[in-house]
Amino acid sequence: MPRLAELLGKSDADAARLFAVFRQDTKNDPHVHVGDVHAPDAEMALMLAKEQFTRRDPCVNLWVVPYSMIAATSYDEAALFEHITDKSYRFGGSYREQQRITRPKGRER
Amino acid sequence: MSGLGTQPALQRRELRDVLAAYLVGVADDELIIGHRHSEWTGFAPDIESDVALSSIAQEEIGHARLFYERACDLTGGDPDRLAFGRASGEFRNAVLTERPNGDWGYSIVRLVLYDRADQVRLDALAAGELRPLADLASTVRREEKYHLMYGEQWLRRLTSATEVSRGRMQQALDRAWPDAVGLFESVPGQEELRAAAIVAVGPREQRAQWRQVVVPMLESIGLTLPTENSGDRAGGRAGWHSDDLRTLLDEMTSVWRSDPQATW
Repeated sequence: MPRLAELLGKSDADAARLFAVFRQDTKNDPHVHVGDVHAPDAEMALMLAKEQFTRRDPCVNLWVVPYSMIAATSYDEAALFEHITDKSYRFGGSYREQQRITRPKGRER
Repeated sequence: MSGLGTQPALQRRELRDVLAAYLVGVADDELIIGHRHSEWTGFAPDIESDVALSSIAQEEIGHARLFYERACDLTGGDPDRLAFGRASGEFRNAVLTERPNGDWGYSIVRLVLYDRADQVRLDALAAGELRPLADLASTVRREEKYHLMYGEQWLRRLTSATEVSRGRMQQALDRAWPDAVGLFESVPGQEELRAAAIVAVGPREQRAQWRQVVVPMLESIGLTLPTENSGDRAGGRAGWHSDDLRTLLDEMTSVWRSDPQATW
């Protein structure tokens, strides 16, 4: 698996100073990639991410991950994700629990 | 309305006036340093720090409003007029807060010295017996925590990065340190607030508490403290200010002065 930094054409030094920020809105939510910050290390990245990504939005937890540590697939390999045959049997859309999980946020209750 | 004006502990007119003057001093500190921080908007070393310091500026100015409102609860008046309608000589902020930013290093050193002092001051209010003020101080304190994290991270990094950056941080400290004593200057009659247990810790003790945190922190990152009492400057709480405050106020109040009756 190639490293994301290589795919983006970034040098190791640049990638080590670019941090992906993941925000968790409530304890029941997953951490979601909301953007990036430049910082010399993870401690500073967390501190800066707090103001960039939580000054308007709710947050209970933040993660930062340097780009140099992220492995990624390449867009050239997008065929990897294509389905050749009908796999709708996997969707399970008629299960009530499934509907609850996939319902768009904000329309709960 | 915080109900401060109707507190039984504040029936005495003199005590109310002293408390109001004290709160105006706190608010003036917050407003003026908030304005100085805001001058970095668009000019900070990187966009992340720019956004963060701009947020800090907004928060300090927000705290100023809260304290002006409490002062007005006690003596009447309008918070906006207090903020925008006074001449430089009527301001009670410590001179440290009005100094021009100069370089980023100075702004960071000042932020750290100021916010550590603010923390001690808020602790003293939060431990006081006047519930509405103690609650307010605890609330404000929560937001101040981030300001310190931000300032101390920058301070540590700039001091340890290169010889040049370390030298500039030392110069910044040399400039800021003599003014810092003014953060603990009292308003006239302030000892009454200690006696009435409204402010749980007196100014001399607050300064000692501040030194206990700030001195080891500065020394641990390799900065040298300027010698004591060499040109210590105070007087801000008595209305003595530099010309820089007048320039700042001219700019900060220009919109308000264009129509003081306007409602926003």
